[in-house]
Amino acid sequence: MTPRTRRGIEFVLDNLVWFMLLFVLIVFSTFVPNYFQLGIFANIIEASSVLGVLSIGLSLVIIAGHMDLSVESVAALSAMAVGILFCSAGIGIGVQLQPEWLAVPVSLLVAITVGGLVGLLNGFLIVRMKMNAFIITLASFIWVRGLVVAVSGGRSAQDLAPAIRWFGIQRVLGLPLTAWIAVSCFIVFSVLMAKTPYGRHLKMIGGNETATYRAGIRVARNLVIAFVLAGAIAGLAGWLLTVRTSGATANLGVGLLFNAFAAVVIGGVSLKGGVGSLPGVYAGVLLLSSINTAINLMGLPANFTQVIHGLLVLAAVMLDTLKQSVRRRLA
Amino acid sequence: MTEPLLVLEDIRKNFGAIEALKGVSFSIGKGEVVALLGDNGAGKSTLVKIIAGGHEASSGRMLFEGREYRAKTPAEGKAMGIETVYQDLSLCTNVDVVSNFFMGREITRRVLGIPILDEKAMEREVAKALAEAGTRIPSLRVNVEHLSGGQRQAIELNRFVHWGGKLVLLDEPFAALGVEQTRRGLEMIRHVASQGIGVVIITHIMQQAFQVADRIVVIRQGVVAGDVPTHQTTPDAVIRMITGEALAGTGPAAAKR
Repeated sequence: MTPRTRRGIEFVLDNLVWFMLLFVLIVFSTFVPNYFQLGIFANIIEASSVLGVLSIGLSLVIIAGHMDLSVESVAALSAMAVGILFCSAGIGIGVQLQPEWLAVPVSLLVAITVGGLVGLLNGFLIVRMKMNAFIITLASFIWVRGLVVAVSGGRSAQDLAPAIRWFGIQRVLGLPLTAWIAVSCFIVFSVLMAKTPYGRHLKMIGGNETATYRAGIRVARNLVIAFVLAGAIAGLAGWLLTVRTSGATANLGVGLLFNAFAAVVIGGVSLKGGVGSLPGVYAGVLLLSSINTAINLMGLPANFTQVIHGLLVLAAVMLDTLKQSVRRRLA
Repeated sequence: MTEPLLVLEDIRKNFGAIEALKGVSFSIGKGEVVALLGDNGAGKSTLVKIIAGGHEASSGRMLFEGREYRAKTPAEGKAMGIETVYQDLSLCTNVDVVSNFFMGREITRRVLGIPILDEKAMEREVAKALAEAGTRIPSLRVNVEHLSGGQRQAIELNRFVHWGGKLVLLDEPFAALGVEQTRRGLEMIRHVASQGIGVVIITHIMQQAFQVADRIVVIRQGVVAGDVPTHQTTPDAVIRMITGEALAGTGPAAAKR
């Protein structure tokens, strides 16, 4: 095999999700009436922004060889915190800041700090106290959601401060600013994972923790940071959720966790750790979103969405096995 | 013998009431390959761990490059240039050769104050280091999981040499390798030693010891039962030292003393 064909095949393997996305878009554009429109594509990106941001944090932790089941509840807690502070109806107390735009950085800071703190607690218990990540984050998944329900009393907050709401309305090149925030998050964290020593170390820790420890990499510190980042990013996802819905309810974002896992797995991240890249995860998120859109346009009952998502995860795992065997033959 | 790199003097190690090492003394020269032989439970692994910093000796002392040496952790040993190369314990198979080579020591350049990996510079250095060692690996960008056991070992050894290692300890390095890979591995060990690096290799396979080692040290029941230059002894004599048929220090080695 010439080095050229080898590189070609490796390129396809590395970016398989993107080719799948392209394929799906072409098929839908051909067969689903009204699918091929700029507005539809913009909608796909827009609809995937919250899920996309949430998947970034989840991916970081999974690539580092751990697990974070709490991201969904953390996003809800951050959303509720922002909702209570900056909504003027329902349980919102409508904090007024002067000048008005100050609400934007303050609300962002609140959301990210709330998320980061839960992440720090997860990280401390898992990494420093050496407890099981699955159990600890499952506990967080439950108690954080419980906290959301308790704090809100099961009621909701509405009418978000206009200055924050602006991010969901203002469009640049056909996309609302919230979508641009998600896209830039993917760019920033893709660079972090692929181009900086920190990202490289996380991936290597996910591959063989003993080896990285022996090589003098500060494993515990890097892992705690990963959990804090996952929490903080989930907080940002919660902020986006508040903006999108202009408020917060106690059951905000329920079910997002499973979609995030689906996106991460479809995107080529291995649950065993050490494998995967963020651009792939974004393709996975977009893939889910384009299928949802197609189902909507075809007028199928929404119940089918779940069946298709499940099958898609299965397909992704099988494809991953296939990829592995092709690679082994390449080497 | 060449200039001594590591000298062990009367090393003892107790685990509670059990005396694993009862006063071991021998030395390893620069550029020398020493094969450490002995039956299971003779104390070889304990000894290697004491040298690399996995265990601390109960008494006795070690001189490394003429200076008192005592490692409390493997990291301390490593900082001095002493390291155990375990198979598959020190490589991340999910990343490529270059990443493994530079694990924890990545070359970066600052872009807007953010450290960014300098892949090109790292790849150049790895290519150079491997070429000098005569190791052939099809692509430096291929993940290590797709490489053979022999190639992995080559990467580990070359990495060790590249980062200034002085004494490498190999515990059963060819346990999982085929004939051809073992032959190349043995060649590589000679190559490493020719650069002035001390090599201690634990093996059960007599033939390998005779192929690669300059000197054979036999440990039996926690003491040195034989310390002979390879060309002055025979496999049969060594087996007798291991099983204890010959008394400590007898055989060809006794003539030297």
